[in-house]
Amino acid sequence: MDSEQLIQLGQQLRVDAVRAADAAQSGHPTSSMSAADLAAVLLAGHLHYDFDRPDHPGNDRFILSKGHASPLLYAMYRAAGAVDDEELLTYRRLGSRLEGHPTPRLPWVDVATGSLGQGLPVGVGVALAGKRLDQVPYRVWVLSGDSEMAEGSVWEAVEHAADQHLDNLTLIIDVNRLGQRGPTRHGWDLAAYTRRLRAFGWHTIEVDGHDVAASTPPSTRRVRPPGGPPRSSRAPARGAASPPWRTRKASTASP
Amino acid sequence: MEDQEGKHGKPLKDAGEAIEELGGPRFVRVEVNKPHADRSPGTSGAGPLELPRYERGDEVATRDAYGEALAALGTARPDVVALDGEVSDSTRAQFFAKEHPDRFFECYIAEQQLVAAAVGMQTRGYVPYASSFAAFLTRAHDFVRMAAVSRAGINVVGSHAGVAIGEDGPSQMGLEDLAMFRAVHGSTVLYPCDANQTAHLVAAMAEGDAQSRGVRYLRTSRGAMPVLYGPDEEFPVGGSKLLRSGDDDRLTLLAAGVTVHEALRAADLLAQDGLPVRVARPVLGQAGRRRARTGGAEATGCLVTVEDHHPQGGLGDAVAEVFADGRPAPRLVRLAVGNMPGSATEQEQLNASGIDADEIAAAVKLLAEKVVVR
Repeated sequence: MDSEQLIQLGQQLRVDAVRAADAAQSGHPTSSMSAADLAAVLLAGHLHYDFDRPDHPGNDRFILSKGHASPLLYAMYRAAGAVDDEELLTYRRLGSRLEGHPTPRLPWVDVATGSLGQGLPVGVGVALAGKRLDQVPYRVWVLSGDSEMAEGSVWEAVEHAADQHLDNLTLIIDVNRLGQRGPTRHGWDLAAYTRRLRAFGWHTIEVDGHDVAASTPPSTRRVRPPGGPPRSSRAPARGAASPPWRTRKASTASP
Repeated sequence: MEDQEGKHGKPLKDAGEAIEELGGPRFVRVEVNKPHADRSPGTSGAGPLELPRYERGDEVATRDAYGEALAALGTARPDVVALDGEVSDSTRAQFFAKEHPDRFFECYIAEQQLVAAAVGMQTRGYVPYASSFAAFLTRAHDFVRMAAVSRAGINVVGSHAGVAIGEDGPSQMGLEDLAMFRAVHGSTVLYPCDANQTAHLVAAMAEGDAQSRGVRYLRTSRGAMPVLYGPDEEFPVGGSKLLRSGDDDRLTLLAAGVTVHEALRAADLLAQDGLPVRVARPVLGQAGRRRARTGGAEATGCLVTVEDHHPQGGLGDAVAEVFADGRPAPRLVRLAVGNMPGSATEQEQLNASGIDADEIAAAVKLLAEKVVVR
């Protein structure tokens, strides 16, 4: 997809998140919109996944750690043709597979999320399996919020990933500055995240999470830094008008 | 509404306007890149299961049996993996690590990562056994809880259960673990009292697909205890055993793990005093699926549970639940760890908590003489 198409896809994900939450009269459309462009770039450009075969051994894994942004995930499924428009609007209804937070009732969801700070640690487990057990070159993508970077479990995982040289794992941090009640601890200070991740031995890349060209890393699969742990990217959220967006991609450096 | 506070977790007030501002609904369809590899992970190399065999009367710690059985299971099943929180010399996961280093994952002192890694690996079809001290697994409870929401099949093993660990004191004692795991949806809690039972349960924990397994918890003990069962005994998950019974039994002692041995000794002491009692080992049941079973022990009309665990949520509660269906309930008395332990030997700890043979016998005498009417 070219940049214009990616922009359109990002807008579609936003619109669908709003539509789903509006139909349900509950949900987290704003948390979904902040990561919509990142999700568009990931889905159209980087994810390798056969939605007809969720058990395909070569599938990448995508874990939405910020599970409250489930409308974004379901909008991605619609864009991929896995969920139709009618089902999208059953979001949060009794009996719907599209629960308030994602669960494996959906065949493309491997693990339930919604308890923050769990997506990355579980992603580390999947990446360990890929590298040491399966030895299949799938990539594990974890999209996390910035608020959940305060969880201690995230840093257990950050250290473990670096120690185990999990260069098949990418963490994308959606730095939208906003927590549930107000600002996050670090706000827009992307460098605060970068310093910490780099100290653990991660490669980090900052990108503008709403600039679809900038969010496209030059190499996701080609470069395997020898023993390098994962990449992570963080993107500030976006609403309608915005300060200059800073987003970063961080990939790990070998310890 | 960009970058505005107070918008978290709410649908937009005017969704129609927002959608219009965003350019309206679209129908962009993404052709997602197909995966590269199409080969299944190698799971060759399965062999026959040769579980360790222990002779009756030998003194063996159930944690030793865990490690030896897991190593044997790893030889039989290439999909079995082990993870440990940097205490594998204590949990005995090291026996597996030594034989199958490629399938052993050191998670260091990071119990959340330990359980999370197990959850991640089971999504890829592996059968993980994650071990640490029972006490420290409490730290990962949110991950265990979410594993159930994920319909994950994980095996969690907590060693150093209860006050019976002795001198290390209360910070190292798992005294809430049974309550914690019993409350998890679809969980199965296993607390063996001898080495052969442990070995068979370790193998049984790997059976079934992930969803049918759910969260399975095995509680092991630090100290050696006599082997009660022969190596060819069958131990189905969910089975209970009557260990000692007679026609004139005044009441029934229900015990698990280390207290089974204390209860048997108490029964000997009581028999000498002309007070015959029955001893049974109930199963703790499966949350939401199957309740505990008492092996017909209620026939005596009075049940005394004895557990190396806090009174809340453990064996006593599991037994009480059996009688929560409206049937006439026998008199239920529970002996459990109600004190705050310090440092002491295993036997001193069991005594101080009122769950060793002498204390059990004293409690039974009191019941038989003052309370139980027959």
